[in-house]
Amino acid sequence: MKALLILFVTAIAVLFAGLRINRKLLQPLAIGGAILALLATLLDLMYGDTTGWNDQYATMFRFDNYALAFSAIILLTTVLLMGLTGYGFRNLTNTLGDNYGLILFSLCGALCMLSFTNMVMLFLGIEILSIPLYVLAGSRRDDPASNEAALKYFLMGAFATGILLFGMTLVYGATTSFDLRTIAAAVSDGQHSAGMLHVGIMMILIGLGFKVSAVPFHFWAPDVYQGSPNLITAFMATVVKTAAFAAFFRLFSTAFAGAEAFWSIPVALMAGLTMTLANVTAIFQADFKRMMAYSSISHAGYLLLAILAIAVPGSGGAILFYTLTYSIATVCAFAVYVAVAEQNGDGSFSAFNGLSKKQPFLAAVMAISMLSLAGIPPMAGFFGKYFLFMAAFEKYPGLVVLAVINSAISIYYYFKVIIAMYFTREENAYIVVIPNGVRWVVLAGMALIILLTLAPGSVYGLI
Amino acid sequence: MSLLLLLIPFIGSLAAFALRGATVRNAALAFTMANLAVTVFALLSFDPAPGQAIDEFTIPWVPGSGISFSLGMDGISLLLVLLTNLLAPLIVYTSFNRNFEQEHRYYGLIMLMIAALNGVFMAQDGLLFYIFYELALIPIYFICAIWGGQNRIRVTLKFFIYTFVGSLFMLLSLLYVYLQTPGSHSFAWQDLVAVQLAPEAAWWVMLGFFLAFAVKMPLFPFHTWQPDTYTTAPTGGTMLLAGIMLKMGIYGVIRWMIPLAPEALQTWTPIFMTLAVIGIVYAGIIAIKQTDLKRLIAYSSIAHVGLIAAGVFAWNKTGVQGSLIQMLNHGINVVGLFFIADLIERRLGTRSLSEMGGIAKSAPRFATLFMIVTLGSVAVPLTNGFAGEFLLLNGVWNYNAWMGAVSGSTIIFGAVYMLRAYGLAMFGDSNAETARFADLNLREWVVLGFIAGLVVVLGFFPQMILHLTDGSVNKILGAVQF
Repeated sequence: MKALLILFVTAIAVLFAGLRINRKLLQPLAIGGAILALLATLLDLMYGDTTGWNDQYATMFRFDNYALAFSAIILLTTVLLMGLTGYGFRNLTNTLGDNYGLILFSLCGALCMLSFTNMVMLFLGIEILSIPLYVLAGSRRDDPASNEAALKYFLMGAFATGILLFGMTLVYGATTSFDLRTIAAAVSDGQHSAGMLHVGIMMILIGLGFKVSAVPFHFWAPDVYQGSPNLITAFMATVVKTAAFAAFFRLFSTAFAGAEAFWSIPVALMAGLTMTLANVTAIFQADFKRMMAYSSISHAGYLLLAILAIAVPGSGGAILFYTLTYSIATVCAFAVYVAVAEQNGDGSFSAFNGLSKKQPFLAAVMAISMLSLAGIPPMAGFFGKYFLFMAAFEKYPGLVVLAVINSAISIYYYFKVIIAMYFTREENAYIVVIPNGVRWVVLAGMALIILLTLAPGSVYGLI
Repeated sequence: MSLLLLLIPFIGSLAAFALRGATVRNAALAFTMANLAVTVFALLSFDPAPGQAIDEFTIPWVPGSGISFSLGMDGISLLLVLLTNLLAPLIVYTSFNRNFEQEHRYYGLIMLMIAALNGVFMAQDGLLFYIFYELALIPIYFICAIWGGQNRIRVTLKFFIYTFVGSLFMLLSLLYVYLQTPGSHSFAWQDLVAVQLAPEAAWWVMLGFFLAFAVKMPLFPFHTWQPDTYTTAPTGGTMLLAGIMLKMGIYGVIRWMIPLAPEALQTWTPIFMTLAVIGIVYAGIIAIKQTDLKRLIAYSSIAHVGLIAAGVFAWNKTGVQGSLIQMLNHGINVVGLFFIADLIERRLGTRSLSEMGGIAKSAPRFATLFMIVTLGSVAVPLTNGFAGEFLLLNGVWNYNAWMGAVSGSTIIFGAVYMLRAYGLAMFGDSNAETARFADLNLREWVVLGFIAGLVVVLGFFPQMILHLTDGSVNKILGAVQF
């Protein structure tokens, strides 16, 4: 709750400051607020009393370890991303304060999605998260691609929200409550109208499927990712995805755990389709951001394995660890991409040609990020995959085998970047310098990846 | 000491990445020599008779889930650690003959590779083994893809994906056995071995391991990546691949695949043995037809590995002992042969046998040492190859006489393709290039003389090596019941 308040106040402050004060102060102000919220969350996580259901906040929120741990991840990711904004937002003039404000507001929504104990709060969280993002996606107003992205994102998002809301009302109809505990009790004791509940769950599944961009509800993602400003794309790929999965897991592991036999089949289907289609399509992409879009879809496929394994004790920890390593690696990859692509004026893989000679440090960071995303040991991403596979292996060995084959396919496109950086001899003439913010962000990201490799248990064991 | 064997090359690799200029190669040589010294020290402190693992070092990695960073060396591990650290300085030293672009990266990656290989052979924890097994892949991929020859990007990506897919199936097998361990599960070797699998499950587990190791060795029909990769890679990379890395596969079979799923061994053995024997004959025949010297050695390597693998799959004492000693011998011989191929290529600018001939006349010292290494590879008595091949054929014969007889053809094929290559390169009429062939310089003389010396010494005293692994082989054969 403290984090939520801090973010909210900072967002308003940034918004007003953007009108008046020197624009150089905006970034420190926004980062300061995010860091403060992160510290508050970590303190709560370490020292706060998070046992038992407490009925504060009118049973709308519950800041348990699960909520706090995921909050820490998205806040950390945001802090890292905001370190890049000094460079990434350098061309924004009048709207700089709005950009920071919208990102922080969006974060408020994300925090609600992590801590809800009532479906109304989940819905509000998703809306608070999404609406600023629709605007942010279109924040490059002169760029038709950015406008297209915003419109697509908005239309698809609104459509998905509608379905989600309809699902929630049906579940309410079947169980007469929005409260997760009451729903869970009603679902497991069978005192409900099964048809209405099942249709409701299916619709919620579809709505959330849109939000996490799982196949077959993923069509919006590549265009939106490609058209949006680089840092906003990174924000969508990391923070939004993490929040959506955490909410997905929270809802299904508490409220709908009793109906697992019903929803596990569609989710398993979705997982298999998502991994396979996304990985195969990603191979054919020539644009880095589009490739990252499909890569993020494929990671959604792996993460769905954890939803299937809600009954296994380690599944929450698996999803936590996975989203953390995935977010850090993605932020680092985007940090390098922003520096390279904006100085080259080219977003394709050939922009990276010969980077290992021009900027060995950036090339190494990119290589490590790609290896981590591909899940190659001993990078932290491997442990993420390992925990997920271990959680799902006993019940869904077939899906895990499919996931394993897919991780092998993913090497092909992740390595395209490495091949361009290290092995391609024809070089492009551009000079790449490392912007200041990028240097610190990737250093912090690499340190975190190494730490997570050395002690994966410290995060995995949190929840 | 086991930790030192890991840390020295790792620190060496970091140092190499940081250093520039001529100091890099000397530092690399110093670090690998230091590792060799530690290995010798470990050998001296090892008591072979009980075959007990020494230098155990264990700290938990992911607390509560039975994953630990656990190292240790018994006789089998020690033999392979010896192979790795004996060849490492040689590989570094022979690389001095070439001037690489961005040298610091080359030596840094080689030492990272050495660290990972030592880790593979010392790991006592299943997941740790898997992690080192994969870690070894990254530096060799970069070495081959940065400094390789023609088509290096396509060839090395195929190599990477091929081996990575294989290992992922091993991960699944390990996971399955891990989930069968009692309590909160454990990846420790002895806990995994203690699991009794249902025959059907064991069948799948063994298949998963087999895919990983068969690709790595490589066994027929999983070998298609190998000749291209060996030919394309820079010589240092080829030496790492053929000399040490393929032994990871065989070691994996001995240490992990068979002990973890012995219940399925009898069902699978006929198939594995057949594949191995087909590989021996197939690769032998293809090797005869090769005109590219490096490619010829690559195919000869498939044939030799086929025989070593057949000895392991036979799973009797002679077979396993033979495979262990032959792993060391093959490593030494193949590094020698690739060194020779590189030496000729540097002098003549070609690897094609048809453009050689008459080198013996202009370079007699080179001809002598090349002959010794060739004889070792052909397994003539009193060279190192003989003891190993004899034991291996004996082991295979004990399993099945027919297979033993067919495998025996490797001696004939080996003699044909090696002596043909030697004849084409060294005898016959000289051409303009080979007439000016310079004899060995000091550096080459040291390396090749050392290798030829090992060929002879190990040929006379194979007992040293057999004695080293004897106790541990008994122990592992005893631990596996089926």
